[in-house]
Amino acid sequence: MQKQYFESTIGESYVKAVHPSGLKIYILEKSQYSSAYAIFGTKYGSIDNCFLVNGEETRVPEGIAHFLEHKLFESEDGDAFTKYAETGAYANAFTSFDRTCYLFSCSDRFYDNLQILLDFVQSPYFTAQTVQKEQGIIGQEIKMYDDSPGWRVMFNMLLAMYKNHPVRIDIAGTVESISEIDDKLLYKCYNTFYNPSNMFICIAGNVNTEKVLAQINASIKETAPLEITRVDSEEPDCILKPFAEQKLSVAQPLFCFGYKETVKIPERTVKEKICTSLLLEIIAGEASPLYKKLVNEGLINDEFSTEYFTGRGYSCTIFEGESSDPHRVADEIKAEVERLKADGIDKKLFSAVRCAMYGDAIRIFNSTEAIAMQLVGCAMSDSDLFDEIKYLKTVTADDVFKRLMLLDNEKTVLSVVKPNGD
Amino acid sequence: MSAKVYKLADGVDGLFVKNERFNTTSVSFNFYLPLKKATAAEYALLPFILTTCGAEYPDFSRLNYKLNKLYGARLDATAEKTGDYQLLKMRISVIDDRFTFESESLLKQAINMLLSLVFSPKTENGAFCETDLAREKRKAIEHINGEKSEKRIYAKNRLIEEMYKDEAYGIPKCGTVEDVEKITGESLFAAWRDMLETAYVRIIIIGAALPARLFDDISHNFTDCKRHNITDCANSKPTAFLSEPVTVTEKMPVQQGKLVMGFSAEMIGDDSVTLPLMVMTDIFGGGPYSRLFSNVREKMSLCYYCSASSVRIKGLLTVESGVESQNADKTEKAVIEQLDAVKKGEFSDFEFESSLKSIKDSLSTYNDSQNSLDAWYSVKAYNKELYSPEDIAEKLAEITRDDVIKAADGVKLHTVYKLLPQEGK
Repeated sequence: MQKQYFESTIGESYVKAVHPSGLKIYILEKSQYSSAYAIFGTKYGSIDNCFLVNGEETRVPEGIAHFLEHKLFESEDGDAFTKYAETGAYANAFTSFDRTCYLFSCSDRFYDNLQILLDFVQSPYFTAQTVQKEQGIIGQEIKMYDDSPGWRVMFNMLLAMYKNHPVRIDIAGTVESISEIDDKLLYKCYNTFYNPSNMFICIAGNVNTEKVLAQINASIKETAPLEITRVDSEEPDCILKPFAEQKLSVAQPLFCFGYKETVKIPERTVKEKICTSLLLEIIAGEASPLYKKLVNEGLINDEFSTEYFTGRGYSCTIFEGESSDPHRVADEIKAEVERLKADGIDKKLFSAVRCAMYGDAIRIFNSTEAIAMQLVGCAMSDSDLFDEIKYLKTVTADDVFKRLMLLDNEKTVLSVVKPNGD
Repeated sequence: MSAKVYKLADGVDGLFVKNERFNTTSVSFNFYLPLKKATAAEYALLPFILTTCGAEYPDFSRLNYKLNKLYGARLDATAEKTGDYQLLKMRISVIDDRFTFESESLLKQAINMLLSLVFSPKTENGAFCETDLAREKRKAIEHINGEKSEKRIYAKNRLIEEMYKDEAYGIPKCGTVEDVEKITGESLFAAWRDMLETAYVRIIIIGAALPARLFDDISHNFTDCKRHNITDCANSKPTAFLSEPVTVTEKMPVQQGKLVMGFSAEMIGDDSVTLPLMVMTDIFGGGPYSRLFSNVREKMSLCYYCSASSVRIKGLLTVESGVESQNADKTEKAVIEQLDAVKKGEFSDFEFESSLKSIKDSLSTYNDSQNSLDAWYSVKAYNKELYSPEDIAEKLAEITRDDVIKAADGVKLHTVYKLLPQEGK
């Protein structure tokens, strides 16, 4: 196995290793901690719905990556939850737009738990019967999200912003789309995306790196690396429509307001992500003039937040929250963007939000879960865990200003969920 | 990790949890007051107004700027229910000085800020200022209304309201919209004095070292408060037993129905006597090995979630699930069947052992999280003895299957609350 060591000035270090199969392994030891957190993941999420198999284009039903995640817990020799019950670990999994992750955290029997994880993720077992059983459970999960105003307001924005990109598809799919899933399709997806060359293992906590690497080395099944060809649809620079509205049983309107960014290359760099996050703090963070104005005029409350939402082939900056007048909020944000473009960035505010973001980056190292999740980010984008800390020491207001100039008031979408008056 | 306790004033305890593994230090002020209809909204507003402005920080935007300069120090406020009491929390956490760009002294500044906010609010002539009050009242009202939008929270709140009509525990943790509307600058100022004079207070520090002079400074601040009638937060009223359970059904335009069931438990009290009920709740509806997950979700495929939790200080056990309208009765029946199975001792040694291992494992992770430790030592103020997570893990080893069966045997259905989709929507 190839190994690389990374060290940082904040007293943390980790190892990145690459298994001959192409599997990437990241381990950060925390010897003072009682527990450890481990993730076995694949670069496979809801947006990977069209790909080539033996040169042939395959389009799969919406929600299949998430469905596969549910089903992988069952193996021929019983389900993984039962095995974890034996050790006392906490186990779970999640599927997002571009990744599926299986995880556990424990303070005892780490190596037994790691073996369970390594085994079940590599042992798919799908039958017509088990697939059918899951349709009822996931059907209820989908309906739960249909009632969630926060979830709906975000997806309605993505639906209005993206014409073709599959980021517009709900991660769990629909009750109809998951009814098309069968065991054969699940195997097809598994055999494509669960190849070790497309996967990663990220661990943080009280573990011994060499012991972990030896165990992984002995447990990864021999599989020939596979070149995955994803078929991405062409996405126009413009938005589909500027406004979306849905009525739900809510007390006051929720909004999600986003700027679509033109994406020329699939992934954003660490620098671009940091600069955009700093920019969002300068535009509408809790110390910004706009935030003060919106609070004082009664237009937002503590639910207000911002996010740089980006992944393979999509990027947008998002402002969301609750408001009695979402249109006013959107107009105020647009006006502030224009003002900042004309006046430039306040250097003192820039310096303060840079300090805050640096503090946040340090804080991550308090939590094995947060570290493991950050390492997943590194595996996804092939970056170094300490890039953020390093870059925050040198970033300038001019770097952030360049990101500001990309915000285009002509490419915004406002999504509103408003009360249905029940 | 055990906490060291310091008596700072009458009814004011300082707890120091020494833990060297973190990059941050956390300091929280926790005030415990009786939950009463007349005061719930005012008390709940206090942590929020006090952490958005103060005599030294008249403008919330400047305060937020200062927090940014302190390398993103987190200043948090919450108002929670712990049994029949309100817990008002104001907490600051800050990264250690060794990480700063120019060796700045962050902790001292952060502590001074918190002390100043708690003890020196921004007031005029014995009243909170009108603009600040109006802003915080609006946010509080929007927060209370917002809880109705998330149906899982709404359904649980409705169950509690139905179960504890005219009782302290039935009062919403932040009061009602009408109560918030009635708050005046003067009444809130009186509530603030009440909090300083009558609340039981617990100050929790978690970090590598106890900051110098911090406890002396706090004691000094309390010497100006006339401490009297101090809250004893160990007197929550037991949940009543009904001869016949009650069912409440409401309809709303939603996709998925919610089924929430409330049970009374005979085993009631603090951690010294109720650990069997904790284990029983876990076997019944905790992890994936539990009766509810493995039967109601996995075997019967009725729902995505179906889980149990308990408030042992109240003798309360609840089950929550999201279901199709036509499956609500079937699910309710299945939950009762699983409870009966636990009562009859029809759970395997594997389920019993799994539950103990899972609880013990999660207790051992507490020391790896400042947030968890702070929550542990603040919520459990009702315990007569101060237990660490390790103490509880040790006590668990003594629990037998018979203890669990006994705990289950005293669990009786009290109220079923159903939120169902309106037909035709």
